Amino acid sequence: MTRSTLHPAGARARKAGADGVRAQLLLLELSPLILFAIVVVLFGLAADRFLTLATLNNVVIQAAHIAIIAIGMTFVLLTAGIDLSVGAIMYVVVAIVTLYLGDLPLAVSFPIGLLVGLLIGCINGFFIVVVRVAPFITTLATLFIGRGVALFMTDTAMVFANDDVLTLGQTDWLGLRSSIWVFGVVFVVAFVVLRSTPFGRQVYAVGQDPAAAAKAGLKVPLILFGVYAISGVCAALGGLVSLTQVAAASSTFGFQKEFPVIAAAVLGGTSLFGGRGTVVGTAFGALLIQTVETGLVMSNTDPYAYPLVIAGIIFLAVLVDAQRTRIAARLNRRKIRIDDPQDRG
Amino acid sequence: MSATAVEAGGGAGLRRFLVRHVLMSEYLVLYLSVLYFLAIWPFVPEMATASTAGNILSAMLPLLVVAIGQTIVLIIAGIDLSVTAVIAMASVVGASIMTGDGGYLAGSPFAVPGGIVAFLVIGGAVGLFNGVCSTKLRMPSFIVTLTMMMFLSGAALWYTTAHTETSSIAALPSAFVAIGGGDVAGIPNALWVALAVAVAMHLLLSRTLFGQWLYAIGRNREAARISGVPVDKVIIWAFVISGLLAALASILYTGRLETGTPVLGRRFLLDIIGAAVIGGTSLFGGHGKVVWTVFGVLFLAMINASLDLIGLGHDFAVGVKGAVILLAAVLDAARRRVLARQ
Repeated sequence: MTRSTLHPAGARARKAGADGVRAQLLLLELSPLILFAIVVVLFGLAADRFLTLATLNNVVIQAAHIAIIAIGMTFVLLTAGIDLSVGAIMYVVVAIVTLYLGDLPLAVSFPIGLLVGLLIGCINGFFIVVVRVAPFITTLATLFIGRGVALFMTDTAMVFANDDVLTLGQTDWLGLRSSIWVFGVVFVVAFVVLRSTPFGRQVYAVGQDPAAAAKAGLKVPLILFGVYAISGVCAALGGLVSLTQVAAASSTFGFQKEFPVIAAAVLGGTSLFGGRGTVVGTAFGALLIQTVETGLVMSNTDPYAYPLVIAGIIFLAVLVDAQRTRIAARLNRRKIRIDDPQDRG
Repeated sequence: MSATAVEAGGGAGLRRFLVRHVLMSEYLVLYLSVLYFLAIWPFVPEMATASTAGNILSAMLPLLVVAIGQTIVLIIAGIDLSVTAVIAMASVVGASIMTGDGGYLAGSPFAVPGGIVAFLVIGGAVGLFNGVCSTKLRMPSFIVTLTMMMFLSGAALWYTTAHTETSSIAALPSAFVAIGGGDVAGIPNALWVALAVAVAMHLLLSRTLFGQWLYAIGRNREAARISGVPVDKVIIWAFVISGLLAALASILYTGRLETGTPVLGRRFLLDIIGAAVIGGTSLFGGHGKVVWTVFGVLFLAMINASLDLIGLGHDFAVGVKGAVILLAAVLDAARRRVLARQ
């Protein structure tokens, strides 16, 4: 016999309280969408051309490279890791593809670029899994090494893409730009892998509790190695997509790109402590950041205000998310108190 | 372990000595610095000159001041990515107050004190904000300080354009410039400041209850709370200290450059965290010492200086720095494995 049946009135009050909290929780859960809606409406009022399909098209094209890298980062963040080397990987890959592989057809040079990204990702994975260096330090080191190597190759000078790359960047298929297609493919593949494959479920399991995952027989080292390899490939792909759009890379190409990438993932609800996050959320985060940037441009806002507004929005989203987590924790605590005796009996 | 030691015979004695007194020593990074110096000396004899020593020192002092603040935040298992943006923001705001070129307090006897107060107020206020968000609002410090970094670096640029046509605020009073560039009793002021900070923070960490609380929170926040540590207050103070020290570093940098610059320190963010981590401070909290960070900063400054002398310049130094961080981390991982076995 549990306490709730002994005191029906108290139980009802508690239930009403819990419903109130649940409603709050739902509201907080939807808050990123509400935030997005507010942003869109505000910019729609500020600039007439904002609410058009052309704008949407532009936003997706410009967000593509960040979104692709952030999807790779999501795998890493889900395991409670971090990959600071993504910006450096972008630069190394672009430097190699433009400097040494410029004469090869893109069907050869781009896959080689992706292999370079995979290789750096595997180096990260090796040090994190085999040598057991913390992800933050490993990828901080590969960030420095990668940038150093790339600067050495380019001699800090601007590197230029060939005409094929430029053409690719301007090509439309079925009315959609090449970068949107790449983004779409990465999105779908990552979505399916995380949602419906054993590997995807194992990534979540490792992030929620690595010790429990190991006890349950998961090959934790292999999974960790895998997520850094994925992040490396995605960073390389993001760098190449960016190259097709800007055609040239200066010595600051990809510099500190790790920060907007992580911000996009976090904005989409991915936790830095592992176990929580989705590909949909991350893509949404990247698109939200780009929507704000595009909106600021179209409403003729002072360019110096861009980083302030974007930082403010990311801050707001994380603030709301933190409150959501707190309320969810409180809700769980109550459940344990009321239901636990019954469950055990 | 003892069986293999007996089998290996004489070599094991030396190995055990090396493991115990070098690998396990908290002076490992200092030994590495000395080793690096000795290795590079034959090829770059200029390394052993007074002017190089002076260069290393002047490069490492402001970095050291910020890195010590970072160490304190790392000890409580936080991170402060906003420090370089604080350096930039404080630099331009402080300069805008003092500059003879239309500053708010230009010509007044309060110009320099007013400017210095502005530096420190910005550092303290940002630290307070970071601390409150990471405790009362339960936000991860990584994101709080990351958005703070984005916000302040943007704000510093904007603030500069509102005050000058050029990219930085010049014409600072000579009394202020002397703080970063002058000397007392033949010892540069920056060295006095850095020494005072290092000693004060060392005593704070090793001799006070507050220091004990910092380590306790870093090891286990919940356990610290249950045993009566005012966790939120201590964490907020850790961020305030980090902000104040970043502001102090900004005073030194700004004084040395003689201009308030909105991009000041931008390149150093990962150097600062790297220096603390190379020294042996853990990113997961609970471990860290001021001396370790001193060694970490010394190591990085020496590598930068030697690569400059060889003529490889900043870009190549970036790569070497990465390799060194990795090497230090691998050694640290080996050290922890030995510790775990014992």
